[in-house]
Amino acid sequence: MTGSNSGVPENGAAADRDLPADRAFACADCGRRWYYDRRRCPDCDRSAADAASVRLETGAVVATTTVETTPPDVRAPNHLALVRFDEVRLIAQAAAADLSPGDRVRFDGSHRLRDGPDRTDPRLVAAEES
Amino acid sequence: METEVRVSGVGMTPFEGDSQRPLADLAAAAAEKTLADAGVDPADVDALHFGNALAEALDESAGLANALAAALGLDGASADRVENTSATGASAFHRGVDRVESGTADIALVVGAEKMSAGDTRSVTEAISRLVHPREYAQGVTLPSFGGLAAGAYLDRHDAPREALAAVAAKNHRNAVHNPVAQFRKPIDVEDALDSPVVAAPLRLYDCCPMSDGAAAVVLTRATDEDDAGHPAGPRVAGTASATGTHAVAERPDPLSIDSVRTAGERVFDRAGIAPDDVDVACIHDAFTVLELIELEELGFYDPGNAWVATLDGDTALDGDLPVNPGGGLKARGHPLGATGLSQIVELVWQLRGDLPESRRVDGAETAFAINVAGFGNNSVCTVLRA
Repeated sequence: MTGSNSGVPENGAAADRDLPADRAFACADCGRRWYYDRRRCPDCDRSAADAASVRLETGAVVATTTVETTPPDVRAPNHLALVRFDEVRLIAQAAAADLSPGDRVRFDGSHRLRDGPDRTDPRLVAAEES
Repeated sequence: METEVRVSGVGMTPFEGDSQRPLADLAAAAAEKTLADAGVDPADVDALHFGNALAEALDESAGLANALAAALGLDGASADRVENTSATGASAFHRGVDRVESGTADIALVVGAEKMSAGDTRSVTEAISRLVHPREYAQGVTLPSFGGLAAGAYLDRHDAPREALAAVAAKNHRNAVHNPVAQFRKPIDVEDALDSPVVAAPLRLYDCCPMSDGAAAVVLTRATDEDDAGHPAGPRVAGTASATGTHAVAERPDPLSIDSVRTAGERVFDRAGIAPDDVDVACIHDAFTVLELIELEELGFYDPGNAWVATLDGDTALDGDLPVNPGGGLKARGHPLGATGLSQIVELVWQLRGDLPESRRVDGAETAFAINVAGFGNNSVCTVLRA
């Protein structure tokens, strides 16, 4: 399996730092993953310039909020969740307000997260129990 | 080790939601009050540090420090601008302390000013939204979003009622009632806060600081005695310290942990040679009510999960064991970004000098603490003052 939580790179070097919402960076040496761009791997100090990108599979919700007062180009309400995908932690939009701390989630769909940018990204949804 | 630097004069304009005065006038007004309070001739000032966060974003002009120096008649003084988002005021203060402490300036004037009403709501919201990490920005995340996530986690982990947050807002509004420079001098009760519109659940409108216009300033010297005109040397700067944290808030291992707050606090207490128990009055960066609780715990004033209990018990009220935000805090005094950190210093100097009316005075205060926070903990700036 590639692109899993194991941190196996899926698509080679991630020269483009503007990754889709469901992708994290992965160190080319040690496989350590991170979500918010940085210059070097936090574990082995390898340059992040040649980091790969990996797809995030399922994670656990840490906290949630629903924002009613959003910036002009963001739809209201904006459901947000702080989620842990193993060592990767991120805040992302959720499709609905039905998530709670401890829930398992995954990214799904294709949505315009802000008005204006000509791009779409997946949102968080509840992961089906296996 | 304590510095030899004294806060020899303070002054500020009222904080307002929509001042009719231009940014430069606000800054000059605060500076002139401060120079008069210190009994310092403008010609004797040899360093000016001007804190402002949003001028360019709100279509104000650059070169603010040079313009202010000229307007005040600080001929030949060195001058520069300091920017550190919401902690701009405290960072400017630290730069001034460093100049005087190092001996590269004998008298430093530090001014912080912001005119957030200069832009429309959209442009101000956009400018503040850009403070978050670009990948957070792409998700529509704003500073209140972080506040909502942290508040939900705080209430959940500590099994605290929603009233715990509302009590912070009610306390800080109550403190602002008698503060003539506060933006909101209207008391609110816990029910008012609980009934206000949701901003970022569970945070509501009264859990959030306003956008503000205003300016605050201090004069720093190494004076040791009252001058011939009776101006006191002023409280001593016992310690200053700052620390950065993660830019992306999600990267923190715990949503209730703000490393920059804890680290800056440890550093400043060490430098001042005191412990949290020694503090008589504190100004805590309450941009959101939950931040006051988290910061009090991260700084060691209360154990984790205890700040909300202390607040409900009245410990942080004006007549409590640890009065917090006696001037109303960001919540009710207001939060003009570049001025806020300096307004905390102004408030604490007033408290230490004892020159406030009884209705809002912390009697016998000798040691004062301030924390001014950039973003949602990207950078924290702490100060300890001694009478």
